Amino acid sequence: MIAHDRDQSDLKQEPAAAVGIPAGLPGTASLRRLPLSSTVAIDLLAVAVEAAADTGGPPESVADIIREWATTQALDPAAGVSAAPIVVPLYGCLVAWSAGRAAVVGPGERLGQLEDAVADFATHEATLRDAEQRATALLDTIEADAGAAFEIDHASGDRRIELAARYREAVAVGRRLALVAPAVHAAPVHPPTLASQLGERLRERARLVERHELAVGRADLAERVTEACGQRAADSGIARRQTGLEWAIVVLLIVQTALMLVDLLAWRGSS
Amino acid sequence: MGGGPGGLFTAWHLERLAAAPVAITILEASSRLGGKVVSPTFAAAPVRYEAGAAELYDYSPVGDDPLRQLVQSLGLPTAPLTGASVCLAGRRIANLDDAQAELGSDCRRALVEFDAWARGAMSPGEFYASGSDLAVASDATPLAATLAGLQEPAVRRYLETMIHSDLATEPAATTTGYGLQNYLMNDPAYMRLYRIAGGNEQLVAAIAERLAAVVRLDATVTEITPAANGRLAVAWHTGGRPLCEEFEVVILALPIPPLSAIAFADATLAEAIGQHIAHHNHPAHYLRITLLLDRPVAGVPGEDDYLMLDAFGGACLYVESSRDPLGRHGVLGWLLGGNAAAEWADASEEELVAAALDSLPEPLAPCRGQVLEARVHRWTGAVSGVPGGWHPLPADRRHRPSAAHSNVLVVGDYLYDSTLNGVFDSAEYVAGWVAAELTATQSPSSGSL
Repeated sequence: MIAHDRDQSDLKQEPAAAVGIPAGLPGTASLRRLPLSSTVAIDLLAVAVEAAADTGGPPESVADIIREWATTQALDPAAGVSAAPIVVPLYGCLVAWSAGRAAVVGPGERLGQLEDAVADFATHEATLRDAEQRATALLDTIEADAGAAFEIDHASGDRRIELAARYREAVAVGRRLALVAPAVHAAPVHPPTLASQLGERLRERARLVERHELAVGRADLAERVTEACGQRAADSGIARRQTGLEWAIVVLLIVQTALMLVDLLAWRGSS
Repeated sequence: MGGGPGGLFTAWHLERLAAAPVAITILEASSRLGGKVVSPTFAAAPVRYEAGAAELYDYSPVGDDPLRQLVQSLGLPTAPLTGASVCLAGRRIANLDDAQAELGSDCRRALVEFDAWARGAMSPGEFYASGSDLAVASDATPLAATLAGLQEPAVRRYLETMIHSDLATEPAATTTGYGLQNYLMNDPAYMRLYRIAGGNEQLVAAIAERLAAVVRLDATVTEITPAANGRLAVAWHTGGRPLCEEFEVVILALPIPPLSAIAFADATLAEAIGQHIAHHNHPAHYLRITLLLDRPVAGVPGEDDYLMLDAFGGACLYVESSRDPLGRHGVLGWLLGGNAAAEWADASEEELVAAALDSLPEPLAPCRGQVLEARVHRWTGAVSGVPGGWHPLPADRRHRPSAAHSNVLVVGDYLYDSTLNGVFDSAEYVAGWVAAELTATQSPSSGSL
């Protein structure tokens, strides 16, 4: 089932698909936009067909149309997606997925389970993809930031708001990755269901585990660097305040000494 | 004795564990090394297939897996093997949804209950430790009695079909514990299957290449006699020529049938070996039929590398060509086990091929007209149907049949779980023992094996 309680508030909007059922599919085909969260949706094409006796899967003509439909979207530069689609033949069914678009083909009574599994996977994949992109963006800044972990000048001190924002972003990305981790690293279900088998194969084909580990590494690196810079900036601020305080104490001590001298001279004069 | 995986693994371990170089001699009765690990090539096309052990077990999800580590350290590429389908009366059941559709809701519920019971009876940790001295006592009730307790006949048939070819014997002739192991191995939380890309035989070939041991092929051992100096005189013949040599330690890495054929001159030793054989002699059988097709296999359901058929009392059908997605040929391999393997062992190749093709599920039926070449490999009595015996002995007694003859040791998959992983563990145990003994006697350089 789709985990609606996940924090999807700032996931980027998926690219809109050219709406339309591809020609040549049976009349049972339906296309709908399936919302995964308040801001993310995929176009889901569902085709109810019986398995062909000769192949045990959907008719080849239908399978070819589905593969082409998913590929068209996957290679659409406007959609910002260049990865090849994932096509999974699965026990008399066929599932094609690319970012923003998915198709499920199989016996009518199985389509619901397949759709749920695809939606579940798409939710986690979108979350992970968003986190990957944000982690990569953070990496672009850390080389420039790294210097601030060792050298602090007046200008660097002024960057602490910027660094704080970057640190918050790194923590947010880390949190997003931590939230999606249980789904990415979910143990295979046994005995399996059709939905669990599909979910496992999609996770494996989309290399979610490897991508998650890579993104976690990047987010950790960004967090460590920005944390070090932030710590340095905070230390610098504290040091500056400390210096002011020390000078104030020195002035007070001088004043106190002067007053004591005046007092001493006055006492000597009177005696 | 024995140039199969047991002998090679033992020599490999011993060369690494011994504190000083050990002179090792491997005596192999056949003209090749590798035993049940065979990856030959068809004559009609240079396509490789597995004629013996089809897979290795990956225990890394649960604990250390020394065999997996060895495969990696040898630089051998591996690929996972997956399969979830059980075909009953031509209908494929690949998951619980299929079970409900084909067998009904009651059967689905019964399967879930059986699975819960099986996992409760043996945890992944217990599965991992099975065969070792750390293992909890497994259920020695005959498997048939346990399966008879299932209410639904269809569920019983499903489970029997699922595990029959792995058992290589009938449910009445093995334990519930062993049956559970063969059921639970389908759960990825317990273990996963993998193969060595390009043929499992690469493993034994890679080990053989790295051994300093002397290998004598076509050497059939006939008799072992204790010598006056505490050594053991081993008599063998090669090409009809009798030979004899003395060794400090003899390790018998043989299946039960060739072990039974060796004469032991010492009465105590002969009796101990006899008892060892009696305890472990539970012959189980395999038979492999492999067909080369003139084109890649089409209609493979769900991308499985193998599926279980209810034909032959429960057989495994390997879609071997799924291992080579770019290949121009298809390869299908049937693994028959148990009584069916024994009964069909005398059949001609034509009869076996016809029966195998008849058993193909409908989506694979077109393969019947595509056969280029057929190969049959008979492994009658090659494994144990009750590895470890009905009541397993401690590891030291399993590997040393006679306390009075501590320099006669045995290694075998039948002592553990009838797998390559089991014989690897067995070999490591014995090699560790021998290495410790050699170190203790301070005469490692003179040790001969």
